[in-house]
Amino acid sequence: MRLPAKITTLLSLLAIAASCLAVERKPIVIWGQALGPDSKGFEAVIREFEKRHPEYEIHALGLGAGNMNPQKLMTSIVGKVAPDAVYQDRFTISDWASRGAFQSLQDLVDRDKNQPNSPKPEQYYPSVWAEATWQGQVFGIPSGADDRVLYYNKAIFKAKAAELRAAGLDPDRPPKTWSEILAYSKVLTEKSPGGTIKIAGFLPNYGNSWLYLYTFQMDGNFLTKDGRTCTLDSPESEVALKFMKDGYDLVGGYGQSKNFESGFQGNENDPFIVGKVAMKIDGDWIINTISRYGTALDFGVAPAPVPDDRYAKKGKFATDKDTFITWLGGYCYGIPTGARNREGAWEFIKFATSTEGRVLEHTAQRESERRRGRLYVPRLSGQIETNQIILKDFVPADDRIAAALRMHVQMLPNGYIRPATFAGQRLWDEHVRATEAGCTTGDIKGSLLDSQNVVQRELDAYYRTETLPVVDLRIPAIGVGIIAICGALAIWFGFRRLRLGKLAKADSKWAYLFVSPWVIGFLVLTLGPMLASLFFSFTQYNVLSPARWVGMENYSALVGEDRQMSVKVMMNVLYLAGVGVPLSILSGLAIALLLNNAVKGMRIYRTLYYMPAIVPVVAAAVLWTWVLAADPNKGLLNAGWKATFGQWFNLAPPGWLTMPEYTKQSLVLMGVWGAGSGMLLWLAGLKGIPVQLYEASSLDGASPTRQLWSITLPQLSPVIFFNVVVGVIAAVQEFDRPYVLLGGQPSPGDSLLMPVIHLFNNAFTYFKMGYASALAWFIFLLILGLTLIQFRLSSKWVHYEADK
Amino acid sequence: MSENLLYALGTLGVWLGAALAVSCLVTLIGMFLPSASSDRNGKLIRVAVLGLLAAVLLTLGGRLPAAGVTAGAGVHVPLVWVVLPFWGWTGVVAVAFALIRTIQAMMSLPEPGRNGLIKAATIWAAVGAVAIFLYTKGDEPAKVLRGGLQMSLTALVAIALLIVAGSAAMTLAGQQAKVRGWTKTVFIHSMLIAGSVVFGLPFAWLLITSFKEDRDMSSPNGLVWIPKVQQTVKYMDARDPRMQGTYDGRTVFGSIIRTQGDDVQVEIVDPGSLRGLTFDTQKAKLKEVPKDIPLVTASFDGQPIQGKVTEEFVDGRKRVEVTMPASIAGKERIYKPNEVEPVREVGLKWQNYTEALDNLPPQAMGGLVYLKNTLIIVLFSVIGTVLSSSVVAYAFARMRFPGRDTLFVVLLATMMLPGAVTLLPKFLIFRQLGWIDTLYPLWVPAFFASAFNVFLLRQFFRGIPAELEDAARIDGCSPPRTFWSVMLPLVKPALAVIAIWAFTNAWNNFMDPLVYISSPERMPLSYALQLFQGERQQNEPGMLMAFATLTMMPVLLLFFFAQRYFVEGVTLSGLGGR
Repeated sequence: MRLPAKITTLLSLLAIAASCLAVERKPIVIWGQALGPDSKGFEAVIREFEKRHPEYEIHALGLGAGNMNPQKLMTSIVGKVAPDAVYQDRFTISDWASRGAFQSLQDLVDRDKNQPNSPKPEQYYPSVWAEATWQGQVFGIPSGADDRVLYYNKAIFKAKAAELRAAGLDPDRPPKTWSEILAYSKVLTEKSPGGTIKIAGFLPNYGNSWLYLYTFQMDGNFLTKDGRTCTLDSPESEVALKFMKDGYDLVGGYGQSKNFESGFQGNENDPFIVGKVAMKIDGDWIINTISRYGTALDFGVAPAPVPDDRYAKKGKFATDKDTFITWLGGYCYGIPTGARNREGAWEFIKFATSTEGRVLEHTAQRESERRRGRLYVPRLSGQIETNQIILKDFVPADDRIAAALRMHVQMLPNGYIRPATFAGQRLWDEHVRATEAGCTTGDIKGSLLDSQNVVQRELDAYYRTETLPVVDLRIPAIGVGIIAICGALAIWFGFRRLRLGKLAKADSKWAYLFVSPWVIGFLVLTLGPMLASLFFSFTQYNVLSPARWVGMENYSALVGEDRQMSVKVMMNVLYLAGVGVPLSILSGLAIALLLNNAVKGMRIYRTLYYMPAIVPVVAAAVLWTWVLAADPNKGLLNAGWKATFGQWFNLAPPGWLTMPEYTKQSLVLMGVWGAGSGMLLWLAGLKGIPVQLYEASSLDGASPTRQLWSITLPQLSPVIFFNVVVGVIAAVQEFDRPYVLLGGQPSPGDSLLMPVIHLFNNAFTYFKMGYASALAWFIFLLILGLTLIQFRLSSKWVHYEADK
Repeated sequence: MSENLLYALGTLGVWLGAALAVSCLVTLIGMFLPSASSDRNGKLIRVAVLGLLAAVLLTLGGRLPAAGVTAGAGVHVPLVWVVLPFWGWTGVVAVAFALIRTIQAMMSLPEPGRNGLIKAATIWAAVGAVAIFLYTKGDEPAKVLRGGLQMSLTALVAIALLIVAGSAAMTLAGQQAKVRGWTKTVFIHSMLIAGSVVFGLPFAWLLITSFKEDRDMSSPNGLVWIPKVQQTVKYMDARDPRMQGTYDGRTVFGSIIRTQGDDVQVEIVDPGSLRGLTFDTQKAKLKEVPKDIPLVTASFDGQPIQGKVTEEFVDGRKRVEVTMPASIAGKERIYKPNEVEPVREVGLKWQNYTEALDNLPPQAMGGLVYLKNTLIIVLFSVIGTVLSSSVVAYAFARMRFPGRDTLFVVLLATMMLPGAVTLLPKFLIFRQLGWIDTLYPLWVPAFFASAFNVFLLRQFFRGIPAELEDAARIDGCSPPRTFWSVMLPLVKPALAVIAIWAFTNAWNNFMDPLVYISSPERMPLSYALQLFQGERQQNEPGMLMAFATLTMMPVLLLFFFAQRYFVEGVTLSGLGGR
């Protein structure tokens, strides 16, 4: 009996020794690339790399919807647990670099410039490389590149050939200039007798062009070269936005076009594939959709039409050498600050971005697609040589798709990029807002100017930062410490002065020991953080650089510049508190009244009704994304809608998660479904009502309805009150459900921007700790206000037994 | 608008008329029942009046303007709905309340009550006025939706008969006590069942979706309720034989991609987690096994056929060998991807589950690591919450010490503080401690007693008679001993409630992992699922639904087995908010 035990001990010791002797494989953690059926090519690259470098082990993680989730990355960099490499959208690189979140790769590029597979600027399209640089240093090694070209539906052109000829247009070729594309659009647009759009010729911003492309085509840009001045409202972008507005007006105005667009669906119902849109400017990613779902689609590609003067090389365009241009974006690999394995990450980046690595990726992915029975459409590279190989070896046997790929490659050298700036995200958001406002109101200059001012404010704030006084964080920390010590001493002396018997003193010591968990928790996890939060709310602090004192600025921004946002957030809360909470309470109460009956099988019913409350919120939200899906052939709710309201009122099913008017309703609906969570309290409350009350009223001849109104509800009113208060507080703090329902993406029209989500974004995405702290106190006041109002109102309707 | 108004009024008239007609018929039936009461004349008058009114309303409604719905055969039942912006609805509701209160005030006899009602009515009227003002200022007009149900005459008559019969049965039941109880049971059961369907349907949908092939997720012919799976046949592929071998001690299947004498290189196809991996071995160690290849239908010279796909080309084309009809079986042809249709039969796609687990990051060990992390968090959170809350609550409830009441007020005040206020500084504290990307921030705070639980437990401790404690003291128990052996066992039901709440909170916790955790080795289930959603929503919904089902399973199972403690534990412990 003893011997085998010894042997096993010996063996396990041996095993431990062996594992120590074996080469320790150093992990390289890479974020932004999840492993899955769509990334078999990337997996092959990893395997090959690991084979060549047995000293490394790759851990690839998605951690975000397709691209990196800025919140996660920023939190981990700040929290000193950064990954070693990140696969990141190129245009955000300068933003990250400016905050000190990414490392410069310049030294590595320079060091290895004589190695054959090391990245060199001349291998890439100039703008692709430039996009990953910040202040003359390269911060990312580019991988893919996507540019935009015009897609047009040849079948629609053929069907309308006669009309096009009548308007003096050639139905056999795509438009080349702005005035031409508008003329084509006018002929191709078709409306139903009711005035709604049936076929749109061309929607300027449908697909992927944005104001950027049209401004680039006018030789304009949104920032000055030095990056200090925003030029969103330049003459060039005014012309460009005017063109977009004209394009929308032609098909019936911006509002109607958006209505039309909101009915769009993906995959086999893609509006371009089914012929609802005749022309669009889009990136190369849609070729894959067309190859899978538009096998019969007769389409062509051409460079995006340009301003007439540019085409004719007149005026300021006389010296331009490129007639047709595009704008491009794509991803790159960067190394965040604090990466623990910089060398390994660099080795991997070199291999993954080399021509060899890229070709290996395409080969493996094509093989995987073939096994899944799909046609492989390669995505383009930012590297010139790789694209030549792609065109030679990876073009599928489909002439339409081959032509499209060739066109995209052909346009890549003429690609413009978004300006490298730390305010890149803000500039993007504001240009979207300006486009929307300009196309809706027609006040082009005004809307561009408004947005320009917002961006300029952010630029100024950044350059002003250095002038603000730095706050030494040790001072408030020491302050808090002194207060704590003084408090403890005061209690101690107070305790000494009290005249207590010996026994009472001993008892008190025990009592203090007993409450100490809460007291310590209160001091460390509540009071301390509260004071810190109050302090931070007067500063500008991003954790990576020192805090700077700004006084009341965060608060004045909340009610000043950002007033619209603050009001929006408040209205969202009021809607949920005013509509969602009462509905949830009603349904919870109804369920409880039903479940309070003594019938057979009650246990099963209780389980069923309580199930929504017991499943994890995240799982419930995932489940609801599928219930709320807009496509009636997919979403449970809209399938029901189509069968009822759709039939009765001729109403198209709404996009529950995509239309701002419906997102809150979706959340309310989900709340009603989860109303069982309060069931325990309801049932307890119902059981607590004295039976004599019912018996007595029965004798007096009261009907069940009368009993409900005169006995059950008044007796239950304290429970109702409790649920209302708790429900409203929960509504203000709503976070999980909207966050998961929208997959962490911003809600349409900020319709689900709840206070805590707003705070979370500011805190952990932008690391504006100061502003977020001010927001936290705003939330606190909101809760306090709403709760006090309810307590004031409660005396009107809440019935306490003790009153009588 | 006026035409819309007419339509709305007419629709109301039709529905009112229908209701009147039904009640008229029911009264008529009631008259001929044996147990009917005496007053026949009164009833006759009622029937006549009701019938006349119904006839008038229905005739008027029949002359409604067209609803915009194309009229077909049968009867057109009009429907109407008014779409109002938020303030519009608020106004309508407020005015309605004001009216109700006014009527109540006019009907109520005692003076003091009347004053209160009048006050309420005024407030509602004011709210209504403000809302209507805001509504008129907004540019969203009210929209009247006109619609209708198209129904065949027989269906309409059948429904009407059903309603009449039901109502008659209920009137009859109302007259006999025995039948009344029975009807009530049936009624409650049917309500409960209807509710269960509504509440359970999303779950059923999740479960069904998790077993569907991706092509069934959205189908042009409406929802797919019965999953179907691709049919396959066994096939020995001569061109690319499927080999069975061992790699790293596991049985794997793959294709030979290079042969050099006796040495071969094999690329793994199955299991999915190793797919794409290549390894060197000897031919003798491999065994050829049949492949599972898909069955498809296609057209062969205009003749519909069924065949098996023997080869798939890089560009998506497929080589199909005909299996049916027998006359041309064995013939081959190459098809483009859109020329073949897969043969599918009713079945469950279990691969969604295996693939979902296979496609998790390798460090997650097929999701077991996630489960382990969640269990650690849950376990420590529950222990911490129960221990710390009960200790603190006991001190507040049963012990005397200077400053107790002040501290208790502070404790109550912290209940009001939203978590948002301390979120950021907490993050900075845990960062200082080096706890980012560890499990500590998720369970350590549980050991510091939350105000709500302390408050709740304190109430229970106070309800215990003081004699017990005194007796223990006289017997020489120290305060910890008294607490542990005498008092704690007495509040077990409340502890169970707190433990259950701590359990669900810890299991559901999403925001903390979102902030603190970033590596898969330390991820709990909830956060892993959210990340999985981000990555799979678009292209592999089947896998996502399978993973969601899997995350729900443990907690649902626990709930089924511990249901008594979940539901009845709370109910019995008399938490009534009073």
